Amino acid sequence: MSDLQPVRMDHVSVARRRFLKVTGAGVAGASLLTMLEARQAPAQLRGTTLRILTWSHFIPAYDVWFDKFAAQWGEKNGVKVRVDHIPHLEIPARMAAEFAAGTGHDLILNNSTILARLYYKSLVDMTDIYDQLGKKYGGWIPAAKSPIEVEGRIYGIPMYYILLPMLWRKDLFEANGLKPPDTWELARVAARTLKPKGNPTGMAFSHCNDANLNWRSLMFSFGAAETDPSGDNVMIDSKEMREALLFAKAMFDEGMTPEVFSWDDASDNRFLASGIASWIHDAISAYRTTESTNPPVFKSTFIGLEPAGPGGKRVSVSAPIVFLGWKFSKNQPAVKEFLVHLVDNDKEGMIQSTGYNMPFLNDNAKKPMPIIGADPKMQVLQDFPKIVAFFGYPGPYTPQIQEVANLFVLPDIFTRVARGTSVDEALKWGVGEYRRIFSKYKRA
Amino acid sequence: MTTVAVPRTHRQKEIRRHLLLYAGMTPFLFIAVFPIYWMAITAFKQEADLYRMGNIPFWFNLPPTLKNFETLFYQTNYGYWIVNTLTISAWVALITLLTAVPAGYALARLRLPGAENIGIAIFMTYLVPGIILFLPLSRVVASLGLQDSWWALVVVYPTFTIPFCTWLMMGFFKTVPMEMEEAARVDGCGQLGALVRVVLPVSLPGVLTSVIFAFTLSMQDFLYGLAFVAPGDQKPVPVGVPTELIRGDVFFWGSIMAAALLVGLPVAILYNFFLDKFIQGITGGVGK
Amino acid sequence: MTVLPAGDGAESTTRAAAPPVARRSSAAAWWRTNTSRRLAFGYLLLAPAALYVALLVGVPFFFSLYLALSDANVGDPVATFVGLENFRAAWEMDTFWAALRNSVVFLVVAAVFKSLLGTSLAFLLLQNFKGKKLVRGLVVIPFTLPISVSVLSWKWMYDSQFSVINWGLHTAGLIGAYGSESWPIWLGQPHLALIACIGVNVWRSFPFSAIVLLAGFTSVPLEVLDAARVDGCSFFQRFRHVVTPMIFPILIIGFLFDTVFTLSDLSVVYLLTQGGPGSATQILPVLAYQIGIQAGSLGRGAAIALMLVPLLFPALFLMLRNLKRRDW
Repeated sequence: MSDLQPVRMDHVSVARRRFLKVTGAGVAGASLLTMLEARQAPAQLRGTTLRILTWSHFIPAYDVWFDKFAAQWGEKNGVKVRVDHIPHLEIPARMAAEFAAGTGHDLILNNSTILARLYYKSLVDMTDIYDQLGKKYGGWIPAAKSPIEVEGRIYGIPMYYILLPMLWRKDLFEANGLKPPDTWELARVAARTLKPKGNPTGMAFSHCNDANLNWRSLMFSFGAAETDPSGDNVMIDSKEMREALLFAKAMFDEGMTPEVFSWDDASDNRFLASGIASWIHDAISAYRTTESTNPPVFKSTFIGLEPAGPGGKRVSVSAPIVFLGWKFSKNQPAVKEFLVHLVDNDKEGMIQSTGYNMPFLNDNAKKPMPIIGADPKMQVLQDFPKIVAFFGYPGPYTPQIQEVANLFVLPDIFTRVARGTSVDEALKWGVGEYRRIFSKYKRA
Repeated sequence: MTTVAVPRTHRQKEIRRHLLLYAGMTPFLFIAVFPIYWMAITAFKQEADLYRMGNIPFWFNLPPTLKNFETLFYQTNYGYWIVNTLTISAWVALITLLTAVPAGYALARLRLPGAENIGIAIFMTYLVPGIILFLPLSRVVASLGLQDSWWALVVVYPTFTIPFCTWLMMGFFKTVPMEMEEAARVDGCGQLGALVRVVLPVSLPGVLTSVIFAFTLSMQDFLYGLAFVAPGDQKPVPVGVPTELIRGDVFFWGSIMAAALLVGLPVAILYNFFLDKFIQGITGGVGK
Repeated sequence: MTVLPAGDGAESTTRAAAPPVARRSSAAAWWRTNTSRRLAFGYLLLAPAALYVALLVGVPFFFSLYLALSDANVGDPVATFVGLENFRAAWEMDTFWAALRNSVVFLVVAAVFKSLLGTSLAFLLLQNFKGKKLVRGLVVIPFTLPISVSVLSWKWMYDSQFSVINWGLHTAGLIGAYGSESWPIWLGQPHLALIACIGVNVWRSFPFSAIVLLAGFTSVPLEVLDAARVDGCSFFQRFRHVVTPMIFPILIIGFLFDTVFTLSDLSVVYLLTQGGPGSATQILPVLAYQIGIQAGSLGRGAAIALMLVPLLFPALFLMLRNLKRRDW
């Protein structure tokens, strides 16, 4: 099978389909069309290989399902599929190595660190299937484009995103006459009330992904912005940001203990599971961990919507998961076919992840959503798609924002304030760091 | 000097000496072994046992379980990882010996012009950090067709074992007195003969040390394994454990500890065996 | 019986016939007359190692120099020369200087503790006592565990809530309860965090120092030591004046090696704190990794990583010069 064949098929397939439809070309043409519509891969795919690199999902059962799913697709289409799992934090290193080697997997997943804009020159252009899937499923959510769009073309398919809702102890709140933490102010009051009783709260002031996500949720909900919609200008120095910083300091002083300076992504999970936390702002992996290790606490743990800031705004920053395809892959059609098939079965994926995976497509976000629609405690998660955002909000997710995230600049600003630096000084330092990083990209 | 006094004094001295030694060893033992003991306990603990504030870390609060080991063997590729680790390390040790021992001898004994500079240059390679190396090396690995096979690591690991072992052997060879070699030559050995029949046996401790270090160093790497080997059944333990037992923000602590123990203990036993050879070869030892 | 190379037979018989007194000068003559064969033999022995290293490290090293002087990023196959721009950009970062300082502090403090602990342990292991084999086997385990796995264990031991160290200290009455002021947050308080990372490095490596020393000690010929003892040297005198000079080469190698590995080690800080809190534990390799690989800015990452070289160079140079002086 020559290498050229699949590539040509790529560019021509859409045009050919339209041509066949329009001209009603013969039985052969129609059957090709029906084959394509029925999502059966064309004969060219038979005998080829597809290598997929994905992350080790929190929910091991999802990985088991995914591997089987990929294998089944492979069997049906005569494609040998292999799926490899590594932690999401290590995927950038792996991508760098594969790029340097010019060979590797065909399809790679990015979680949180989305490198589409960095590697776009070597990635498969997926605009065609992106548009097609969007049309089929009621459109993509507004935030979907940001990580993967470069100069008007789309270089990846967003699969799902992971939310960080409020996880709070209803029993503790009720026993102390506290209202559910629907706003940040209420959350702060709850922490203030419960800390002396041995139930503080905690949000990581450290170099971890949760810190990057949580503090952005807070500041965006307070009305602050990271960059402007063009993505070129740093906007963190604002009145709203100062309010958010002062609020974070107050919340720390009143309701948290210094251990939050050492937290990693898993610490808040343990905090909740140990029964100490009054509330945390974390992915539902913490909810599930508590379910399996501390049933009594789990019974009283409830999920809450992203708290509103003083102006009533709610923004929930989450971690996007996107699939990218290398241009050097020898099997680009298989890549696209598989992705379409995966998106077609998105609902199944959501179920297998026990409600963890949130959909990028509007249809799949319609209520009731699988798993979370049925579980009374989890229903509130269905309201998140409207308020979800990613790093850089309201600007796009650019490589410079990626570096800012990798160096944990934003959590460091909050950490400095919590440790006693004045808001002005901390912001001055932070803006300096942002500008320094941004200027390097301008030079290049 | 009565026959009664001598044995008592000697035995008292022995006992006192032993007590002093044990007292001296205790802090070291404690520092080295306490984490291991704790890891062993954790490996057998149920997950719920880990996350309660009131629980004693040093003993079981809930009944011990083999579940972590089960997870390790049945739900991950741990079995493969162990075999891979041992095989890779063995090959690397072999390659290292074959290259470093001759090189060490050549640099130490044969008065080659530029020997010093070559020796320094070899050591300088350690200045190149692995995070830079792994990119061009990935191209080498790919061009050899070894990507995603543990053979890639067999090719790459000697880059950090050879320099050190070369220098180690240089050091050992330098301590072999010239007279020994010359005597061998007088007795009719050639250059190669002198090396093989006289110098090597005397430097056996050094050779064994090199083997041990090459072996251990191969087990320490994380970055190269991560960059070059993705398939679950090709990974060595140091790569497999952090990549498949940490999922997002969920750490499978029990299994991580179990994994650590199962690979650490056999290697420690192996070490012990080699260390024996050192001491055996030198009867009496220093400071008897 | 091994087969001897044919050529040497003739020389040896000639030499054997010469009077024993002249043996030394004939040996020297032998060295000289066989220069070409010696050189050929020598370079042949040296070739595999030198080639391996030149190809797989030397070439990539020059590649990394090229990267440091270009604006390369992970996604771009073509990079343009930008001179010292990357280095300048690094020097402008506060975090860079923090990382540099931390790398040096880490190295020095760790080295001091490793030497002390390693030497003491090596001495103890030289003695004969009951149970010695078992003790030796146990004490070596920290070094034999793969680094990524043992660091993870320490992460759990340092946990802010469940730290077994804190539990022990609290039970012994030395610190307050969880939540109190005196409950150490090992990975959260800046100074403690650096100490915690250094502690893991020392814990892992001091058996290594001990082994190197032990190997060195055991390679000292007994005759020399006995002669010294006969001459009336005390234990410490023997150690300082006889043993140390003889094992100096091995000591230096071990020390240099450990220095290099400590300075360029990424795993401990990466897995424990990712450089936090703030930049309290940030070190050059981790910073280089975060910028060069995770953010994709290869040129700047390479520049930062290469800044390790000037740190190592003086140490290397001094040690090697010292070795030369000792006629090594």
